[in-house]
Amino acid sequence: MAKYYLQVPLKEEDIKKIRIGDLVYFSGEAFTCRSRLHRYIFDEKNVLPFSTKEKNLLIHVGPVIIKENNKWKLVSFMPTSSIRFEKWGAKSIKEWGLKAIVGKTTMGEETAAAMKENICIHATPQCVSPNLWLDSIEIKDVYLFDELGTIEAAWQLHLNNLGPFLVDMDSEGNNYFDSIDAIVEENRKKAYKALQIPEDFKYTKLY
Amino acid sequence: MIRKEILEDVIFKTIKKSSCCIPKDVHSALKKAIKSAETETEKDAFSNLLKSLDISIERENLACPDTGWPLFFYKIGNEADIEGGILELEEISRKMVTKATKEGYLRSTMKHPLTGYDPGGNVGLNVPYFDYKFVPGKDIQVTYVAKGGGSECFGGTRYRMIAFADGITGIEKFIVDSYIAATRAGAICPPGILGIGIGGTANIAANIAKEAACLRLIGTHHPEPMIAEIETDLYKALNKLGIGIMGSGEGPSVLAVNVEYAYTHIAGIAVATSSNCCVSRRATAKINDNGKIEELDNPDWFERGQ
Repeated sequence: MAKYYLQVPLKEEDIKKIRIGDLVYFSGEAFTCRSRLHRYIFDEKNVLPFSTKEKNLLIHVGPVIIKENNKWKLVSFMPTSSIRFEKWGAKSIKEWGLKAIVGKTTMGEETAAAMKENICIHATPQCVSPNLWLDSIEIKDVYLFDELGTIEAAWQLHLNNLGPFLVDMDSEGNNYFDSIDAIVEENRKKAYKALQIPEDFKYTKLY
Repeated sequence: MIRKEILEDVIFKTIKKSSCCIPKDVHSALKKAIKSAETETEKDAFSNLLKSLDISIERENLACPDTGWPLFFYKIGNEADIEGGILELEEISRKMVTKATKEGYLRSTMKHPLTGYDPGGNVGLNVPYFDYKFVPGKDIQVTYVAKGGGSECFGGTRYRMIAFADGITGIEKFIVDSYIAATRAGAICPPGILGIGIGGTANIAANIAKEAACLRLIGTHHPEPMIAEIETDLYKALNKLGIGIMGSGEGPSVLAVNVEYAYTHIAGIAVATSSNCCVSRRATAKINDNGKIEELDNPDWFERGQ
């Protein structure tokens, strides 16, 4: 398990080295995105009002941000489940040139294939610790605030060593949680045994 | 008489406390998890979780930005005299949810299910949700639960009808399989508090499962030995799964298993699961008829004095 301190714009050669189980930190520019923004761009055919060329890190988060003395103040920040935007995952990697996505949980096969093809990773928080990240994030600007509302707007961030996040998908197509699945699958038998549930148990079909 | 101004004040403070201050029983369970951590990664993950939660208590900011569904659980004294009655109590509750949202103590998360319209105050048709229990006396007790989206959306809440022929074996298999599916990649933010509802109609089972997950203290057991034993058996079995914090494979899989039941139709046994995340949020306050206010750690929803 290695630790990487990455600078945005993320470079292909840096991302290529990273493997599942590694920890990553990010510095530089990033933007927030949730499903409403994906739908707004990809389904409702609007144009993203900023360039992701130098900002190739998407954070899947609905932050709590309030206005205090005419300035944006970040109140709470916790990446949320990326599997929700699997439908638009590959598309966003390809069309926006993403090199990393930070979000909770993981993503599916279509996104994994796009990550392999386009050299991109997904990284996930190791615990729910929103307060420990607040000092690493500056709010620079916001797009689509009126159209999408405060949580789903595209917040423009400047990061200062934001992390650590566990890399759960790498650019080789590996998924960290597949290895956990295999362990849990073995342990399922132990749980059944403890509860005296026969492994070949079949439910009576009621409907 | 319980005055409107007092209700406004107490309800607002209870919402705020729920969002910012993790309940004591959850805090203790997480502390215990740090102590019994077997690896540095596991210890760091639980320590960072608790560190962040402690900062929220100190700064009065959100324990987690997903403040979820606004749920009210009211215990109403049979002789309680509320200014404006129950309708006013609900109106004040809705107003305080909006106020808490505007002040940053709740995230504006509640939307129209089809259009996505965000009213900005977490209030809309059938939301917030109100549940009532009528008890002897003149007091009223408010419990606010900020029910996170992760634990609710990703298979944390499930339902199945089980044949009598399949009995406890069918019930427990459903619970084990559901919990594995719901915790993959940390979906429901494990280790969770798992509530189980057995019996009743589908909605009765789902309701008591939710109450078991959100309103019972970690470490408490159902008073009937048979049910308490099912809780212990499931707790031990689920902790063999190796799911760990956020599905990482490090640490416990579940913090508690709380089972409640209702009598059921002879035709079938409804089973529902309801998970609460490792950042379970709940706050309770009691308002006395003479205006005295008491903050409580335990909602004692099931009136067991535990």
